[in-house]
Amino acid sequence: MNEKLKNALEFSNYMVTYNNQKRILKQKFLDQNVHYASGSSFKINKEFINFINLLLQQGQTKDVVIIDDNDNPVQIEDFKSFVETTMDIYSKNVNEYYTQLKTIKKRDIKDVLGR
Amino acid sequence: MTKGVILFANNNDEIDYVRQAIFCAKQVQKYLKLPVSLVTDSAEHLTNKYPKLVDTFDQVISTEKIQVFQRKTFRDGMGKAKKLPWNNFNRSDAYNLTPYDETIVMDTDYIVCNDNLSNCFKLNDDFMIWKDAFYLNPIGEPWEIRNVSDVSIEMYWATVFYFKKNKKTKTFFELLKYIKDNWAYYRWIYQIAPVNFRNDFAFSIAIHIMNGFEENTNWPIKLPGTLYYTYDRDLVEDFVDNRFTFLCANPNEKGTYSIATTKDINVHIMNKIALERLIESQGI
Repeated sequence: MNEKLKNALEFSNYMVTYNNQKRILKQKFLDQNVHYASGSSFKINKEFINFINLLLQQGQTKDVVIIDDNDNPVQIEDFKSFVETTMDIYSKNVNEYYTQLKTIKKRDIKDVLGR
Repeated sequence: MTKGVILFANNNDEIDYVRQAIFCAKQVQKYLKLPVSLVTDSAEHLTNKYPKLVDTFDQVISTEKIQVFQRKTFRDGMGKAKKLPWNNFNRSDAYNLTPYDETIVMDTDYIVCNDNLSNCFKLNDDFMIWKDAFYLNPIGEPWEIRNVSDVSIEMYWATVFYFKKNKKTKTFFELLKYIKDNWAYYRWIYQIAPVNFRNDFAFSIAIHIMNGFEENTNWPIKLPGTLYYTYDRDLVEDFVDNRFTFLCANPNEKGTYSIATTKDINVHIMNKIALERLIESQGI
C-alpha cells in the first residue's frame, strides 16, 4: 500500500469520511431516481409519487399531461404504465441506497470506504 | 440518427492525452455502448505508440498541430506544480468535426463508470451541459468554482456536453468560436482574471449571450446525473472493480489528505499526472 494512503488511513477522521461517503451515496441515489419518458425527465421523490398516484386513483390512465423537470408540460400516453415504471425505479433505488448505507454504518474506516 | 462520443486529445511534452483517451474510450464503450471518435493533433503518436489500440476508436480525426503559447499549472496533489503548454482550442469545432448527428463530447479525464449519460438520447433537448458540480473532497469548499469570476455569471462545465445538430446548436458553436477568437475582449467584459483561454468560461459566456444575457433559463438543460470531480490538488490512488479511491487534499493543512471512494460513479479527475499513473497501472 502506498505510504500516503497508509498514513491517511491511519489518521482519517472517521466522521468526515463517513459523512462524505453518505453524501456521495445520497447524490448517487438522487441521480438514479429519475424517470426518462416521452422525451422528458421526471425526478422521482415522495411528492411526485403521491401526485401521479393521485391522478391514477382519479381514473386518469391515458394521455395525461404533467410537468417535467424543466417546467414543460408533457403528455404521457400510457399513464398507468408510467406510474408503474416510476414506482419500480424508486423501489429498486431506495433498496439499493438502504443496502449501501447499511454497509457504511460500521465503525471500521475500511468498511465505510467499501475497501 | 447516428450517435457517438468524441474526445479531444492534444498531447504536450509530459501529458499523454492520447493514452487517457484510450482509457476513457474503453470505459465509454463498456458502459454507454457507443462508438468513440478521437480528435487529435497527435495521431502519429497514437499509431506509433499504441498500434494495437487504434481500433478502440471509430474514427481518428487528425487536426493540424498549432503552436501553443498558453501554459497551465498542472498539480499532482499538494506537491510542486508544473507549468506546461495547454492546447484546448478546438472544442468549439466539435460541431463541424463530429461524425455523429447526436454527440457527447467529453474530456479525456472524465471516466465513465455507469450508463447514466445514455439517457441524453431519450430526451428531446438539443443541448445539455452541467452547471452545478459535486466536489468529492468533503473539506475542499475553498477551491470550488461556481462563477466565472467573483462578480460575474455562473459557470457551466465544458467537461461533458451533449448536442444534437440543428440550426440553434450550429449558431451556438459559431458564437463559441467567435468568443475564442476575441478572448481578450470577452475576458475583459466578463471580468475574468486568468489570462488563459478556458472552455468552461467560453461556454458560460456563449450560453449567457444565447439566453439574451439572462441567467437561470431552461436552456440548456442539465445532463443526466451529476458531475462529480476531484481537483489536481487531490490524488487518485486506485481503480478496482469500478471503485475509485481518492485522497482529498486538506486546504487547511498542507500535505494531509482525507479519503473518499466512489463506486459506479462517473468522475472528472483533474489531476492528470496522477491519472497517468493510474492508467499505466491498468496496463495501457
